[in-house]
Amino acid sequence: MMNMADAKPLAGAGKSPVQKAPRPSRPISPRMVDIAVQVAVVAALAGLWEFGARFGALNPFLLPPLSVVLGRIWEDLIAGTVPVDLGLTLYRALTGFAIGAVIGIPVGILMARSALVRWFFDPLVSIGFPMPKIAFLPIFILWFDIYDTSKIIMVAFSCFFPVVAATYAGCSSLDKWPIWSARSFGAKERELLWEVYLPMAMPQILTGLQVALPTGMITTIVTEMLMGGRGVGGAMIMAGRFADSVGVFAGIVQIIILGFVVVKSLEIVRRRLLIWHPESRK
Amino acid sequence: MSVTHLAPSSRSRAHAASSISISDVSHTYGARTAGGMLALDGINLDIGDGEFHCLLGPSGCGKSTLLYLIGGFIPVQAGVISTSAGPVTAPGPDRSIVFQNFALFPWKTVKDNVLYGLKKAGIAGPEREQRAQRYIDMVHLTGFENAYPSQLSGGMQQRAAIARTLAVDPGILLMDEPFGALDAQTRRVMQEELRTIWRDSRKTVVFVTHDVQEAVFLADRISIMSARPGRIQHVIDVDLPKERGEEILENRDFIGLSEHIWRLVREQAVAATRGAH
Repeated sequence: MMNMADAKPLAGAGKSPVQKAPRPSRPISPRMVDIAVQVAVVAALAGLWEFGARFGALNPFLLPPLSVVLGRIWEDLIAGTVPVDLGLTLYRALTGFAIGAVIGIPVGILMARSALVRWFFDPLVSIGFPMPKIAFLPIFILWFDIYDTSKIIMVAFSCFFPVVAATYAGCSSLDKWPIWSARSFGAKERELLWEVYLPMAMPQILTGLQVALPTGMITTIVTEMLMGGRGVGGAMIMAGRFADSVGVFAGIVQIIILGFVVVKSLEIVRRRLLIWHPESRK
Repeated sequence: MSVTHLAPSSRSRAHAASSISISDVSHTYGARTAGGMLALDGINLDIGDGEFHCLLGPSGCGKSTLLYLIGGFIPVQAGVISTSAGPVTAPGPDRSIVFQNFALFPWKTVKDNVLYGLKKAGIAGPEREQRAQRYIDMVHLTGFENAYPSQLSGGMQQRAAIARTLAVDPGILLMDEPFGALDAQTRRVMQEELRTIWRDSRKTVVFVTHDVQEAVFLADRISIMSARPGRIQHVIDVDLPKERGEEILENRDFIGLSEHIWRLVREQAVAATRGAH
């Protein structure tokens, strides 16, 4: 007999037999072509960078060859500084992002459900959303030391707004029919929140998270640059002060890779969570 | 909610069929503002225990509003609606509803959709599973338990919605043009199946439609509603055999009654069109 676990969306359920087309019949899918072309473009640009710098078309101090930059990352990786810096940056970005999301999602839902909450938060969100949140950094430094706390709060603060705005928008335009269905089955107002509003607004909430995550990464790097200390941003500022252009570019490459991995991971989470949604079957 | 929900019995009847009594019910949309629109005006109707009742009328006559009032989805402003369980104040599992646009939970599989109502009803363990499967089988969705609504055709989605609603075994089944979005063939099959399900389970059914033939095919009694403001103009007994299949469409009484009702509805539809311009 089926149990509940089998019926959960994550079990890879719902794939109709039609989708299991035999592989050999379509050796090259359009998606693979897409990826191949994109990889080729990145490789070409990397090649241009490498050889442009190597053969003197570009000043090697202003733009050191890619191989030298990668060599530096490798050295620092072995020396142990890269894992520490990357780890710290990732920790600050993800912790801040998680706090922003954990506060932002309920606030967004409550704004859509309760006039009182909306009256309180709507003006704050309207003012806060377009404002450069980094302007609050000096205040946060005064309030919460110069170490991790203030950085993480800064990141959480910058992630909060896109999450609230997207969740509120998602929850205030909900289709009433599934809500009525749930109520007719006897769902209480509090149960509706978890059982209906949240899953129904999930596509928009995830979109908000996908805006918030890169914002959080940017804020992390900027706070690290402004406040110094360990972390990718701090290491880059330090390298810049010593006119170590290789070190600066090493930081940039690390940020690119980190950002790519983090953003792609969230895309995978989205596809997993929205396996029921028509968008997942494109 | 009744105590029978909590009893771990294997009885399939959780709610007894129930009569519905509607007295002096009026409803105004935007009542608090100056330009309120009177949607229902002094509705009086008694629907018997186990009766299949159709609300028939032109679009905009308030028949869905009346159904939502019985369902408890919108509050009763004037008059009283009560069932055998007492006055209606809120939605409840004794009055389950099937909407025109199915209203399935799109993030749940067919099976989880059906299980949802059973969970809410407090039915646990293997009985919950068995019941869900039984109703999925009944609407011929066997093999689609793990499909999501967006992967199903309109007819299949509506069958899933019907299974979800029937599985909680409501005493009263409310249906808001449930077959409106289906193609003619699917519609015909679903009507026959619904009639069979109703005959076997003896629920009280309130079925909203604007399709005369559908109403005559399904109902024991038909209320014909007038154009805005909605009033019940005629209540007509459908004196046809209980067993109704494809052949009834050629029955002389069926055709005669359909034509009679069609003329009554047409008057209202014409009035509605005139009123709108």
